Amino acid sequence: MTTSNYLLLQPKRIKHYALVFIAMLSFIFSSNSAAKNWQTVLDNGQNHSVYFHAWGGDPQINAYIQWLAQQVKQQYNIDLHHIKLTDTSEAVSRVLAEKSAGNHSEGKVDLIWINGANFAAMAKHGLLTPNWATKLPNFSLTNPTKNPAMSLDFGVPTQGMESPWGQAALTFYYDSVAITSPPKTLTQLLTWSTQHKGRFTYPKPPDFIGVSFLKYALISLTPASLQAKLYQPVTKQNSALLLPKLWQFLDTLHPNLWRAGQHFVSSSTALRRLMGDTELSLAMTFSAPEVPAAVTRFDLPTSIRSYAMSDGSLSNIHFVAIPYNAAHTDSAKLVANFMLSVNAQAKKQRPTTWGDNTVLDLSILAADQVTQFQLSNPHPSSLAPNHNSPALAEPHPSWVKVIEQQWLERYGAQ
Amino acid sequence: MIHARDIFTRSIKLTPTLLMALLVIPVVGGLIGVLLPAFGYIPALDKTTFTLRGFYSLFNTAGFANMLLLSAISSLVSTLLAFIITVLILACYFNSPWLYRIQRLLGPILVIPHAAAAIAISFLITPSGMISRLFSPWLSQWDSPPDWMFPHDSWGISMVLGLTLKELPFLLLMALGALAQADLGAKLRAQHKVALSLGYCPMTAFFKVVLPNLYPFLRLPILAVLAYASASVEIPLILGPNAPPTLAVAIMHWFNDVDLTLRIQASAGAIMQLLLTMGLLLSWWLLEKLTKKFSHGSLINGRREYAGQLIQRFTQVLTFILLSIIMLSLAGLILWSFAGYWRFPDALPSQFVLLHWQHALQQMQTPLLNTVVIGFVATLVAVILTLFTLEAEQLRTRNLSNFASLLIYLPMLIPSIAFLFGLVWLQEQVGSHHAYFNVIFGHLLFVLPYVFLSLASSYRRLDPRFSHLAASLGATPSKVFLRVKLPQLLAPILIAFALGLAVSFSQYLPTLLSGGGRINTITTEAVALAGGASRRVSAVYALMQMLLPAIAFFLAWFIPKLVFAKQTASPHKLQHPTLKQQSKA
Repeated sequence: MTTSNYLLLQPKRIKHYALVFIAMLSFIFSSNSAAKNWQTVLDNGQNHSVYFHAWGGDPQINAYIQWLAQQVKQQYNIDLHHIKLTDTSEAVSRVLAEKSAGNHSEGKVDLIWINGANFAAMAKHGLLTPNWATKLPNFSLTNPTKNPAMSLDFGVPTQGMESPWGQAALTFYYDSVAITSPPKTLTQLLTWSTQHKGRFTYPKPPDFIGVSFLKYALISLTPASLQAKLYQPVTKQNSALLLPKLWQFLDTLHPNLWRAGQHFVSSSTALRRLMGDTELSLAMTFSAPEVPAAVTRFDLPTSIRSYAMSDGSLSNIHFVAIPYNAAHTDSAKLVANFMLSVNAQAKKQRPTTWGDNTVLDLSILAADQVTQFQLSNPHPSSLAPNHNSPALAEPHPSWVKVIEQQWLERYGAQ
Repeated sequence: MIHARDIFTRSIKLTPTLLMALLVIPVVGGLIGVLLPAFGYIPALDKTTFTLRGFYSLFNTAGFANMLLLSAISSLVSTLLAFIITVLILACYFNSPWLYRIQRLLGPILVIPHAAAAIAISFLITPSGMISRLFSPWLSQWDSPPDWMFPHDSWGISMVLGLTLKELPFLLLMALGALAQADLGAKLRAQHKVALSLGYCPMTAFFKVVLPNLYPFLRLPILAVLAYASASVEIPLILGPNAPPTLAVAIMHWFNDVDLTLRIQASAGAIMQLLLTMGLLLSWWLLEKLTKKFSHGSLINGRREYAGQLIQRFTQVLTFILLSIIMLSLAGLILWSFAGYWRFPDALPSQFVLLHWQHALQQMQTPLLNTVVIGFVATLVAVILTLFTLEAEQLRTRNLSNFASLLIYLPMLIPSIAFLFGLVWLQEQVGSHHAYFNVIFGHLLFVLPYVFLSLASSYRRLDPRFSHLAASLGATPSKVFLRVKLPQLLAPILIAFALGLAVSFSQYLPTLLSGGGRINTITTEAVALAGGASRRVSAVYALMQMLLPAIAFFLAWFIPKLVFAKQTASPHKLQHPTLKQQSKA
């Protein structure tokens, strides 16, 4: 019995050991192969050009990308070309046009700065290279197991199609000569707007900031018990339940807006210009550091102050992605990896450079690396670092389409 | 000799065909590239059946009728205004040195790309703009900018103002170009004088004698202006309303929308735009016929005087207002480009800084080089093709058929937004991946018609007796072309060249689309920054955009002067040493 038992058990045990062994082997092999794979990326990726399609409306960001180009030129002999877009969807259209022309391997877009609806559209049409971002050596610095947000773009899993680059929150700024106390919540905003007619507006959807303002309003207007519905794909029922509150709010707000809500600016940068002209007294931005930077460049008056809404700030992460037909995929990966390096992220977070919040998890970095991220004497117009504003997560991207459509039907053609 | 002549003649005779192919294939191909998706055929989205869904969703777009109306009315009104003002200025200042002074003052507007002109005008009429700053707070009591509707008013008035101001110098320049031809100008001036001696008031004389002979030279420029205005993107974007916008702007947004299925609707919109533009050109033609029919009687009724004095006064005031608008816009641009902090309602910035220029000039080198190289190559090719085609006409002793002439103006008459997206698709189909070449080719499409338009009339009106005489003395056709015709045409060729450069410098959509966004010119940079946050940087780029073609036009004006000065000066120079010797003696 025992022998037979023993004999009977033995193959099982062998199998068991074999499995453990194989698991160990595969672990060693896989980390080994990851290193090997990265070595191949390094070998193939150097000495090429990378065409980086990124929104080019901000001189500060453009200058930072210029710095990135110098760095990757030194390290990898990569020529990074910044293709300045006025709207990221231009690059989406281009990749689609290439796909329809049958150009599946010599695409002109190597790397693209993207998130939200543009990402959702490209992912849906299979226009992006999958399963590469998580394999970047520096991706681990974001501590992805602790920060699942690094692999979610507006709630949609990125499936390794995008590598995180930075994060931003909706920040407000006002002209302290025109108004002494700015509104701190959405309801205060409404009462404030009746007292200061024509001094606030938001960009017309589909502008990013415009849609973000609508999302902030929608989240604030939705009772806590129903908010979970905003993070699921939109249904007819849910939109009929939640959106009327938003339209009701806008119906009362619009007559108090700039141009009595008859005309909306088409881009968020126009808001800053109108603030500079002092036509507006209150505006918002997704990149808080652009405000003090604009003051030092004379584009905004010195009386500008930044703050965060106390009922929450809409926050999101922005990424870089590689189109499925990119001509220089490996070079693009090298650039994306460099963007995640401590050096590049720390420089990006400096208000004098760009001031975009890092995606790295500072708690897992070495002490000398963390000091690179610390600030010294901030500009009076910049956002106080310890503001008390809860982060509001982005609703599911399918809501954007519905909000945009209904907004255009209601207010788009008057 | 005979051999050389054969090569010259043969290659010349082939040029018209080449020129037609260069223009027709991209445009028609581009249209097909838009026509297929308009009927729902986009293989890249796995849509391979033909449907009318795009048109249905187009017609159901909120405010679609308003879009059509806005496009139609703004383009028709602005073209009509520009034409009327052109004629009034010509009539008022015909035979007066002021005509050329006005032309020189309006010239800069012609060479400012549409985007930059729109920015300059919006700087002027915006609530915190120059006009309201000049009158605040002492007159208007405004301490902060008023909340008025300019620009972007829903009536499109700011947009019409922008379009008119841009179109006017072009029409005026075309008219003066025609009048600059030795025979036509002299003939019309002589006839005008005869009319004056018969007791016609100068205004009446112009309308009854000069205008009917001048109008045929203005017809195509007017149609081009009308077609352009009906489908342009930059001015309506910067000055026009956006709820709803014009059809062309809406199409551009749909094409660029993240929702890729909207491209079907966008393509259907492009077809609608095409029909709209054709409809407008047709209405102008009808308007022209009606005017001709009803004014025929008054041309020969012998009446010497209508309200000539009054119209003249009115024209003078109008010209003054127009010039003030232009001067104030330019002053605004210059002030902004050097402005430090500049709070409303201060009429001047609180400090002047060089920061914006320094900043911009650092980033401008590559775009600047691209702009000049692309413009120069495209224009050079266009001028050569045009001259050869016109020479071929004369060798064949017949003009291009009406159909062929129409084909040349195809890229001018067909809204570029209708075929450019298709053209990019076409360039990918034929595997043309060289961005620089694609951009130059794209520019050539738009440069060629303007160059042809500005050269054709002068070339065709060239007195044939010079060439006949040269030929009878044994000169070969190539020698006649190079030594007899081209020197006579120096001034018009240089004007055409400068115009071609200006057109190329101002191209936005073709540069962006054909180059895949990889080729940056001053204009693409300026438009990218125009939507941006800084009036100051935007002003620097707008001024830079102005400066480049201004240099080209300056050269076009200066070179003939230099050449003719040399020719007339040479006898004096010969005399000079002798005079000196005499004085020494």
